[in-house]
Amino acid sequence: MKKQRELSNDSPAPALTTEVLILPDGQILVHNLTPTFAGLLARLNPGCEQIASRITHHAAFHHEFSD
Amino acid sequence: MIEVASNEQSVGFRPHEARIPPRCGRKSTLRSALARERAKVARAALAQCRLCGHQCGVDRLAGPAGLCHAGAEARVFSAQTEVSDELELIPTFAIALSGCDLRCDFCITGGPSWNPREGAPLRLNPLVERAVAALQKGARTVMILGGEPTVHLPTALEIVAALPEDTKLVWKTNAHGSAQARELLDGLFDVWLADYKFGNDACARRLAKVPDYVRVVRENLLWANGHSELIVRHLVMPGHVGCCWRPVAEWLAAELPGVKVNLRSGFWPAWHSFKHSELRGTVSRIEGDRAWQIARGHGLNLIE
Ligand code: SF4
Repeated sequence: MKKQRELSNDSPAPALTTEVLILPDGQILVHNLTPTFAGLLARLNPGCEQIASRITHHAAFHHEFSD
Repeated sequence: MIEVASNEQSVGFRPHEARIPPRCGRKSTLRSALARERAKVARAALAQCRLCGHQCGVDRLAGPAGLCHAGAEARVFSAQTEVSDELELIPTFAIALSGCDLRCDFCITGGPSWNPREGAPLRLNPLVERAVAALQKGARTVMILGGEPTVHLPTALEIVAALPEDTKLVWKTNAHGSAQARELLDGLFDVWLADYKFGNDACARRLAKVPDYVRVVRENLLWANGHSELIVRHLVMPGHVGCCWRPVAEWLAAELPGVKVNLRSGFWPAWHSFKHSELRGTVSRIEGDRAWQIARGHGLNLIE
């Protein structure tokens, strides 16, 4: 399921990956959630406590976080 | 609703008997120095690999030969900061090594977990530099995972040796390691984040092709609880609440009372799940509720 990608350790900023599965009932499953993607999901669904709890303590940097 | 998904002994070389440097008392022995020494021991042990519960006894220095199909060199299929793990551990810089000793048909990273040749060759210095940069930006922990990191214990220990001494380290494992692997890991990781996937050996054999699963996992969990902080994870699988989660919950309540338990309900029908009729969908609301009732009924110390 995970897309094979070239992850070069020589590169300072390889592509980050989050996988999302949207179910017919509207439920969204997320795997390998990065801070950036958590921020996006929180903006799309501000009422979701599960995502909010993952960015609450780290709100200061989740937008600019990249490695 | 958004959910975070998840998933000894030989007559030859026996490093755990004589050569493993003693447990790390952080004040007297630098973790990095200890990890460096143990990495050498672990790498030599690949000549007759018994790092996991399969106890293959094969020479991985000569090439892949055991059930994990891994040779001596580790590859990385993901290394990034993530916030999908336990709240007390995130953000974590998660380093995922290709290859695993289990063959879980529902593995969410089935490709690189089953195939140690996926991903990119691990280059220690650039990887550690990225981990350190993540820590400087606010990551709380560095997590080493797989696949299953036990398969690549020498490399995992080399990573530990290269990280700053005060890094909070998480060992994310399927808890199917051998006594030899545990001894090499002793005192190096702050947290063991361990899966307890199957409540009986029949499900373990059918879904992950692993014999004697329950005994090996319990042995590892009891050990980990005595040697580091332990968080036990169970991924609720559709159709396996009664046969897998209930006995896991009962055992945790009886043998590891108070241990932190993360019950994950975001089952994702990935990889070869289609081979098993009950694993072709997600966990129903009724099953999810039942799983939580069992957890509460046993007074488990549930964390998110
Ligand atoms: S890590 Fe486990 S499966 Fe792989 S060769 Fe060693 S004992 Fe066998």
